[in-house]
Amino acid sequence: MAFVRVPRDGVPVTQAKDVALDPSLGKRFTLKTDVVVVGSGAAGSMVAYEMAKAGRDVLVLESGRYYPSSEFTEHLGDTMTKIYQDQVGQVNTTADIIFVQGACVGGSTVVGACVMEEPGDKVLDGWAEKYGLDALSAEKFRPYLDKVAEELQIHTNEAHEINACAHKVIQGCEKMQFSWKPAQRNVKQCALTGHCLAGCPSDRKMSSLVTHLPWASAYGARIFSDTEVIRVKTLDGRARGVEARIVDPDSGAHVADMNVDADMVVLAAGGIHTPLILQRSQVPDRSGQLGRNLAIQPFTQVLGKFKEPLYGFRGALVGVQVDEFTHTDGYTIFSGLAEPESLLAQGDMKAGQAHIEFMKDYKYYAGVNAFSKDLGNGYVKWDGDAYSGSKTIHYNPSREEFENMKASAALAARIFFSGGAEKVYLPTFQSLQANSVFELDEKMDKVDYGIKGMYTFRSNSFSPHGTCRMGADPYESVVSPTGEMHDTPGLFVADASLLPESMSAPIQWTVHALAKYVSDQINNNASNYFIS
Amino acid sequence: MKNNNRAPLPGHLAGLEPLSRRGFLRASVLAGAALTSGCASLFGRKDAPETLQYYSLKPDEVDVITRLTEIMLPTERYGLPSSTTVVPTVKNIDIMAQRFPEQTRELLGLGIWVFNNRPMMSFKFKKFTSLSDAKALEYVNAMQEGAFFERGLMTTLKALIALNYWRDERTWPGLEYHGPVTETWGVRRLGNAPLPRA
Ligand SMILES: Cc1cc2nc3c(=O)[nH]c(=O)nc-3n(C[C@H](O)[C@H](O)[C@H](O)COP(=O)(O)OP(=O)(O)OC[C@H]3O[C@@H](n4cnc5c(N)ncnc54)[C@H](O)[C@@H]3O)c2cc1C
Repeated sequence: MAFVRVPRDGVPVTQAKDVALDPSLGKRFTLKTDVVVVGSGAAGSMVAYEMAKAGRDVLVLESGRYYPSSEFTEHLGDTMTKIYQDQVGQVNTTADIIFVQGACVGGSTVVGACVMEEPGDKVLDGWAEKYGLDALSAEKFRPYLDKVAEELQIHTNEAHEINACAHKVIQGCEKMQFSWKPAQRNVKQCALTGHCLAGCPSDRKMSSLVTHLPWASAYGARIFSDTEVIRVKTLDGRARGVEARIVDPDSGAHVADMNVDADMVVLAAGGIHTPLILQRSQVPDRSGQLGRNLAIQPFTQVLGKFKEPLYGFRGALVGVQVDEFTHTDGYTIFSGLAEPESLLAQGDMKAGQAHIEFMKDYKYYAGVNAFSKDLGNGYVKWDGDAYSGSKTIHYNPSREEFENMKASAALAARIFFSGGAEKVYLPTFQSLQANSVFELDEKMDKVDYGIKGMYTFRSNSFSPHGTCRMGADPYESVVSPTGEMHDTPGLFVADASLLPESMSAPIQWTVHALAKYVSDQINNNASNYFIS
Repeated sequence: MKNNNRAPLPGHLAGLEPLSRRGFLRASVLAGAALTSGCASLFGRKDAPETLQYYSLKPDEVDVITRLTEIMLPTERYGLPSSTTVVPTVKNIDIMAQRFPEQTRELLGLGIWVFNNRPMMSFKFKKFTSLSDAKALEYVNAMQEGAFFERGLMTTLKALIALNYWRDERTWPGLEYHGPVTETWGVRRLGNAPLPRA
């Protein structure tokens, strides 16, 4: 292509309403392409860009809607209804952990908190050694991470990007002599509005909506929204395309069925949905690991109430991170307080006068997200028919994971008290708050593991991963070191499902880099994969 | 029969729930007039809950959730917009429930039923909806401190109610929360990022 022009604004997307109005398509239609990419988030957008740039005909299918940034309202409640998976109701079987995911063109990158962190050399070298992933050793994989940093304009927060809420964390850390550092984020000229979780209306967040998707489309990639891929089609054991269903996101009406004939299928539907698609497709999996090894990076939200009004929701959402325990214990604590609705992710929010008082103290709060590392023992499962069945996410913390969550939340509480908090609200299903650091241990002791750790901590997961583990051994892993399924040629996975084991760093940066790496594997071996 | 499968309003119409498409149609027949958004006052936000149409919640579920909303959010006493007559909290939940996956919707129904009918000796085995204000609040607090599944159920119901109240921007001034700022501050849109150099 001689001259490639990226539109100033928005992404050309074919939506359900366009399909409904196009008589040439009808209720059932077939499209042909070189590569069909399923999902348009961190991984899908990267693959679409890299493959289209290499001259391939690329079709991206996204089950969520297209919500252009010019229409973002900075209203979290509305955004949740429109572009969060299951309206933030995607939960584990016991409904005490929420799996938050973006379900829109651009995927979770659109609603992400912008924190970017690289995996350490030790982690990468560990993968290389343990899973036979030589290409992911620190030395070989770091150029991919560097390229992503450049593309997403990742930078370390400057002074003006560290708000009052983050300063309370800094004060606490200084007093405790805990190591902290400004977070790194993928934001260009941040406008400090504090609305990251509702999408960035001024395009400052370098989400896939303003980076890899418009770039892919400039190179000719076609993007469909409202199009849910049901299963992968195979012929003689080789992937040959997908079947999808197009549904109007407003009316729920079934608009059409799409059949795609393709030389190659790349799944990038995220750590929960990619394995579900593969289970629905009944692809062979010698390892028995498909959908297993689900690591969730559980985190709880701890609130500190301070004497003076902080308006901790103003300014950049995430300012600093406490890295004292990241490498030793896998706990990382990030400052951040979002919209009023986000307070409800915290534990018990009380009732009656006590609830109103809890909410009315909003301006006095600082918040942190206390992450802990889990062991990757969860799994996702599709039950029933491919079209009408349902998903379940199985995850309850083991005793060890429960203790990790407890330790991470307790550290966060201690940091707040050292920073001058009068009171700390604990992220538990019981109504627990500590009025001084001296009460903290006693309160924490009340959190009992109970039965399978259920309804103890009110926990969330932003970053499910590991469900299609990558590795050289087909009896231990689902996907080969090139990203291709061990037993199904032409079928690739490029997203968070690939991560071979539980990570403690936020994963988005790694996911982008892995998707770039998988794209390279495909492009470097194009003659093996494409007919033309 | 209520239509439990009806799709919700698009999110950008949130807060205008009483003006749902179905509401529009019904009102246009009644009023015999073409409706515009100017008709909000006709059956707008100040409507009593019993005049609102619910498409997903069953009548007894509406009763339980409305009562729990009154108990959880006694807003008027604190100078906040009413959680039942101004902010359509229960209607918002109804709209949300329409979009829930079937399984979640069934669980919610079961949860509401259990919450209302759970016999507790200290409450003389009365249903939640027939308890006095003070007893109802006591019941909610007791559930929150109860066995693990009671805590889970209580937190979920509270979160649903609180979310569907505090998401209404009319509640924000009471929290000194600024809400959207990009337009007020005149923040310029940057548009798409330029293509990386080869
Ligand atoms: C609120 C929030 C905040 C976050 N903050 C951070 C952060 O600060 N730092 C960080 O590192 N990470 C963060 N994350 C996590 C990060 O965004 C994800 O780890 C990353 O985007 C994963 O990329 P992915 O491509 O695997 O999946 P996603 O980006 O989630 O993309 C998957 C896409 O596939 C689509 N899809 C699913 N099923 C189908 C189907 N059947 N057919 C078609 N399409 C389908 C989904 O709708 C979605 O758009 C956050 C996530 C959330 C939700």
